[in-house]
Amino acid sequence: MVHVYSCHPFSSQRIVQVEQEPGLVCCGGGALFVVVSGGCKVEAYSVEEEGCPLICRFPTMGTVKSIKYSKIGDYLVTIEEKNDATYLRAYTNWRFQVQSERFYSSGSVKYCVHLSAQAAERARVGVRLLGHLLRGASLRSGIQTEIIEIPLSERPGAVACCPITGDLLVACETTLVLFTLRRQNQESLIQSQHILHSTWRTSQQSPSQDDTSSSAVNVSILDFERSVLLHLPKFKPKQVALCGGYVAVQAEVEVLVLKLDASQENKTPEFSAPDPSHEDLLEDQAEFLIIPRHQELLGDRARDCDISVSIEKTGLEGRGQCTLSYVLFRRLTPDFFQGCSVEETQLHSLQLHPLFTSNQSVSEEEPACIFCYFSLPSTGYLYSLKGGIELLSTYQYPEKVLEAVLTDYLLHVITKGALQSFTVHCAAVAARIEDPYIDTTMKACPPSNMEVCALRSQLFIGLRSVCAFGHRVILLSTADSDTPEETERSTQRRGLSRKWTLSSPKEPSKVGHGWNLYVVDTVTPLALYQEMAEYSQRYAETNMQAQSLWHLLSEAHILLRASLLQRGAEEQIAKGGSAETQQTDPQKQRNHGELDEALRQNCAQLGDCFSRSSQECHLALPYYRMSGLSVTDIIARNRPFPSSPHSYGPGFLFFLKHYLLEETEQRLSQETADEVIDIFSQSEPSQLVSVCVSPSMVNISPARTLQILQHLEDSMGVSVTLTITMATMALHLGDLVQYAQLIGRHTEMALVYGFIEEPRLLVHGGGVRARPSVVTQQLITSMPGLLVAAMVGLHENNKVKLEQADQIFKELDCENCLLVDFWEAILMASSQEAVIQDLLFRLVSVYIDRLTNADTQPSSLQTTSRRRQLRNAEDLMNSCSHYGALYPWLTVLNPPYTSSSHNQEALHKLQSLLCGPSLSVDSIAPLLESLSKNTIWGLSLHLLCATRRGHYESSIEKLLDCCPQAIIAYANHHLQDNNMVFWWQKLLPELCNRTRASSDNSILLAALKETLVVVSSEMSPAEFLELIPDDATASYFLPYLLACSLRQLPP
Amino acid sequence: MATKTSLQKVILLGDGGVGKSSLMNRYVTNKFDAHLFHTIGVEFLNKELEVDGHQVTLQIWDTAGQERFRSLRTPFYRGSDCCLLTFSVDDNQSFLNLSNWKKEFIYYADVKEPEKFPFVVLGNKLDVTERQVTLEEAQQWCQENGGYPYFETSAKDATNVAEAFEEAVRRVFASDERTDHLIPTDTVKLHRKPRSASSCCA
Ligand SMILES: Nc1nc2c(ncn2[C@@H]2O[C@H](COP(=O)(O)OP(=O)(O)OP(=O)(O)O)[C@@H](O)[C@H]2O)c(=O)[nH]1
Ligand SMILES: [Mg+2]
Repeated sequence: MVHVYSCHPFSSQRIVQVEQEPGLVCCGGGALFVVVSGGCKVEAYSVEEEGCPLICRFPTMGTVKSIKYSKIGDYLVTIEEKNDATYLRAYTNWRFQVQSERFYSSGSVKYCVHLSAQAAERARVGVRLLGHLLRGASLRSGIQTEIIEIPLSERPGAVACCPITGDLLVACETTLVLFTLRRQNQESLIQSQHILHSTWRTSQQSPSQDDTSSSAVNVSILDFERSVLLHLPKFKPKQVALCGGYVAVQAEVEVLVLKLDASQENKTPEFSAPDPSHEDLLEDQAEFLIIPRHQELLGDRARDCDISVSIEKTGLEGRGQCTLSYVLFRRLTPDFFQGCSVEETQLHSLQLHPLFTSNQSVSEEEPACIFCYFSLPSTGYLYSLKGGIELLSTYQYPEKVLEAVLTDYLLHVITKGALQSFTVHCAAVAARIEDPYIDTTMKACPPSNMEVCALRSQLFIGLRSVCAFGHRVILLSTADSDTPEETERSTQRRGLSRKWTLSSPKEPSKVGHGWNLYVVDTVTPLALYQEMAEYSQRYAETNMQAQSLWHLLSEAHILLRASLLQRGAEEQIAKGGSAETQQTDPQKQRNHGELDEALRQNCAQLGDCFSRSSQECHLALPYYRMSGLSVTDIIARNRPFPSSPHSYGPGFLFFLKHYLLEETEQRLSQETADEVIDIFSQSEPSQLVSVCVSPSMVNISPARTLQILQHLEDSMGVSVTLTITMATMALHLGDLVQYAQLIGRHTEMALVYGFIEEPRLLVHGGGVRARPSVVTQQLITSMPGLLVAAMVGLHENNKVKLEQADQIFKELDCENCLLVDFWEAILMASSQEAVIQDLLFRLVSVYIDRLTNADTQPSSLQTTSRRRQLRNAEDLMNSCSHYGALYPWLTVLNPPYTSSSHNQEALHKLQSLLCGPSLSVDSIAPLLESLSKNTIWGLSLHLLCATRRGHYESSIEKLLDCCPQAIIAYANHHLQDNNMVFWWQKLLPELCNRTRASSDNSILLAALKETLVVVSSEMSPAEFLELIPDDATASYFLPYLLACSLRQLPP
Repeated sequence: MATKTSLQKVILLGDGGVGKSSLMNRYVTNKFDAHLFHTIGVEFLNKELEVDGHQVTLQIWDTAGQERFRSLRTPFYRGSDCCLLTFSVDDNQSFLNLSNWKKEFIYYADVKEPEKFPFVVLGNKLDVTERQVTLEEAQQWCQENGGYPYFETSAKDATNVAEAFEEAVRRVFASDERTDHLIPTDTVKLHRKPRSASSCCA
C-alpha cells in the first residue's frame, strides 16, 4: 500500500535557456550538461546561479549516445558514435574551456560567463589515449579540456561512475570492464615540465607563455587504468552502476549485484565456470518460449542464479587478487495475466546509492550503507546491501513510470505527464548502522521497512528524462511528435523563475519550441518536515488512533534523520578544513538549532502517538525521552479531555512506570507527584507501591497518599510492601505511632521479604550513590537487626551491591558498628568467594583497629559510646563457618582479659577467624605487623599467624619464652601427624636446654615430662636413647626409656 | 527539427613546424602567433560552416608532427574523413616526407580503399622568400600520387587558408557514400557491425 500525502516537495522551477533542442542531459558538480540533439557538442550550465547561465561549450568527437558525470575527478564520460563505430571517452578539465578563452583572447582577467557561442567553440580540445599520460600530453592540462580515449575490445553499451572513488564501469556486450581513476599529483606534473621546455623553440621562448604553463601546476590530471574484467557470457547488460566495490548490472528483466574485494592472498581467481549440462538445458529452453521464473536471491544465495560470472584482473598495479561475491539477484517476470506486455516489464533506472553516517569521514572511508534501486514501469524496488541484504521498500506507481532517480531524501519519478516524489527510508537504515543501540528504551527510530508514501505530484507535459543533483531535479520535456506545437519562441519567458502556488497544477507549457529543460528545486527537508508535521496535526485532531498519524510522523522523522546524517557528513568534511569558520557561521548554527528542535518536536509527537496506541506502546518511552520534555509536560499532554471517555493510554502508563523506576535525580513537584498517584490509582492501582517508593516522588502529600493506599488495602487485601509503603507515609507525616503499628503487623521475616520485593523501600539511587529511605533511617535506631537482615537479603538477591549497602550504613551509622554487623551477617550468608575474601579482610582490619584503639583510649569512654553488637564471637563461631573454634592453647594464653568486653570480643573474633578455614593468612599478614608483640593477646595473634604459615620452631621458641604454660596445649594441638617430629627435634631439645638453665622452673619441668611421655611413646628405644642428652641424669629419663622398651616388646 | 548535420573529421598531418597549428588557428580564430609551441599529441576543435548549401560541422584535428609524438597521434587517425598533408615551402625535407605521412595515415587510419580517400596537399609559409620547393614540384607530386588538390597557403597572411579547408569539405562530399556520414537527429543506424576502437592502440 502506498500512502499518499498532500505534501509539496517542490518549491520552485526555472527554465534553462537552451538554444538548440537537448538530446541528452546529465548533471552534477553544480552543472547541468546538455548534449545538443544530433549535434556534437556539450553545453554546461550552472544550476547554482540565478538564470542558469552557460558555463562553457565543448565539442565532442562523435554523436553522444550516453553521458554520465563523475563528481570525483569532475569528469564526464560518454559513449559516442561516429561512422558506425562506438567509442568511450572521458572529458576532463572541461571547466577550463572558459579560462582557455582568456589565454586566447585579450588576456583580460575577468571571468566571463556569457560567452558568445562562437568564442566558446573556438577552444581547442586535447586528446590522448588511456595510459598515455606521462609522455607529456598532460602538460596542457589545467589550461585545456582534454579527452581521454578509452579503447575497448567490445562495443560499450552503458557506463557508470563510482560516486566514492570516481572509478569507471563500462558494460560491453558480454563483459564489464572496471577502470580505476588515477590522479596524477603535482610533483609528477612539475617533473614533466622539462618536456615542455624541450618543446619550446629555443629562439622563440616567450615569458608570457611561461606564465601560462605554470598556472597548470595546481590541477590534478586524470587517467584511467583498466583493472578488472568481469565476464558475463549469458547476460546482456543494459545498465550498470558502481559504488564502493559494489557492481550492479541490469539486463532486460534481471538485476545482478556483485561485490568486488581486493584480497591479499594470491588465490586463483574464482571461476564459476558454466556447468555444461546446465548450458544444454538453457539451449533446450530456447526452443520453446519458456518464461524464466520470478526469482529473488539475497546474499550468497544469489550464487545460485543461472548467471555465471568470471573475474579477470588486468591492472598492473597491486599484486593481490580480486575476489567476487554475489550480493543480490532479482528476476522480474512479466505478468501476462495482468495484461502486461513485455516492454512494460523492462527494467530501468538502476542505481547504487551510498549513504555515510555522521561518524564517518566521507572522503576516506567506504560508506556505511549502500542501496540499490531499480524499477519496472509499474513498480520500483529499493534494496539495502550492507549490514544484511534486504528489500527495504517497494514503490507502487500510480502510472507508468519512465525514469526514476533516488536521492538522500526522496525518490523522484517521472511519468509522461507528471513528476512525483516518494519518501525514502535509507536514513533509517543508516541511523541503525551508526548507532546499534537505537532500538532501546533510550532511543528509537521508525522501522526502515515501513511502507513508503507518495507526495503530491506536479504536472508537466511530455516528460522525457529526469536527473537530480543535490536538492535539484532536472527535467527534460519534449512535446509529442504527433502533436507538434507551433514554433514561436516566447522570449519574455526567458529568465523567468516563479514560485509555485502550492496546490495548483502546473499549467501546460506554452513554450513554442516544443521542448523545455526545467530545474525544479525541492523544498528543504526541514520545510517538508514542517508541512508533514502540520498535516499530522489534522490527523491527530480527527482520529487519535489513526495508523496514518503514526506513519506520517515516522516519515517526518526519517526525513529529519536524513538531514542529520547530511549535517554529520558536512561536519566531517568541515573538520578537514577550517573547523572554526563552521562553528561561527550564525546561519549554520541557527539551522542546527532548528533541526534539533524539529527532531525533539517530532519525537514528542511520536511519543504522544505511541502513548495512546495499544500497539508497540513501549515506544512512547524512547520517543518521549528523545523529545526532552519534562514528565510534567508529558503528563499534561496525556491528560484526557474532560469530555472524552478516553483514559490514560497504555504507552503513557508504560512510560511513566519506566520513568519512575529509574533512579533519576529529577524530583516531581507535589502537584505532579499527586497527579501521578491519581493516574495510577485510576489506571493501574497494583503499581501504586512501586510508584510511591520512586525517589522522584518524594514530594507527594503523605496524608492524601496514605488515604489512597488504605483504600487500596481495603480492596486488594494486605500485602507487606503495601504496609511498609503506608508506614513510610506515616513517617513522612511524623506519626511514629501509626508507623510502629503498621510495621508491627508483620513478622521480621515477612518484612525482610517485603524489602527484597521492593528494595526501594530501603535504598534509593540504585546508580552511583545510594541513599537511605526514611524507613531505613527509622530502622537504624529502632530495629537494627531487621535492617541488617534486610540488607543482607537485598545483597544476596542482587538487589543491592556491597558498596551501596556500605554507603547506606556509613551515612547513618557514624561508628560503623552496624556496618560491621552487616559484614559479619553477609559473611554468614554469602557463598561468593570474592565477597567472602573481601569481607574477611575488611573484618580483620576492623578487629585490629578496635584492638589497637583500645590500647590508646581509656576503656570507660569506649564502652559508653559503642552500640551493642548484634553478634558476639560466640554467636559467630556457632553460626558462621568462617569463624573457627578457638584453639585450646589460646584459652591458656588468654586469661580473662582486663580490657573492655568490646575489645575482648574483637580479639576473640579475630582469633576465631585465624582459627577458621577461610582467612588467607598471607593477605592479612601486613595488617598484623603493626600489632605489638609485647602483649599476650598480640603474641597470640602473631603465634596464630606463624603457626598457620607452618613456622612451628619459632612459635615453640616464642611460646617457651613468653608463656611456657601453654606449650603443651599448643604442641598437643598442632604437632600431630607429620608435625610429630617437632616433639623430639625441637621441643625436647629446647626443654632440656631451658630446664638445665633454670632447673627449678616447675612449668618447664612439667612440660618436659609431658614431652618425654609423648616422645617415648612414639620412638624406638634406640632412637630415644640417641635423644637423651649426654650429661643427663640417667635416673630422670629411665622410666620413659623403660616405657618405650616395654611398648616395643611383643605382648 | 529533423535537420541533418554532417560531422566531418579532417586531420592535419605533416612535419613538426610546417605550420599545422598555425593554419588551424588562422582558420578558426583568424589569428597568427609567431611564437607557438610544438603540438603535443592531438588536439581538435569543431567549426560549424556552410559549404554549397550543406550545413557542416568541421572537426579539425591538429596533430604533433615531431617524430617522438608518433604514438600519441596515430591512434586518432581512424575515422578521418579527409587528410590535409602539409609541408612548408621553405623546407624541402618536409616536402620529401609527404609520402611517409601519407603511408602512416593510410596504415593507422585503416583506410579500405586508399586510392579513393580524399587527401588535400598544403604548401604553407607562402610568404617566406627563400623557397626550397617549387610550385611545379609540388603540383607534380600531387598529380602522381592520385590527383590531389594542392593549395599554397600562408597562415601568416591568411592566404588560401579558408579555401583549403572548404575544399577539404567539398572533397568529402564528393567522395563515396557521403550520405552515410549524415547523422540524423533522432535515429541511429546500428545495422553495421561496429568497428571497435581498441585495435588502434598498439
Ligand atoms: N612565416 C610564416 N611562419 C609561419 C607560418 N605558419 C607557421 N609559421 C611559424 O612556424 C612555426 C611553427 O608553426 P606551427 O604551427 O607550430 O607548426 P606545426 O606544424 O603545428 O608544428 P608541430 O606542432 O610541431 O607539428 C611557428 O613559429 C609559426 O609562427 C606561415 O605561414 N608563415
Ligand atoms: Mg602544432
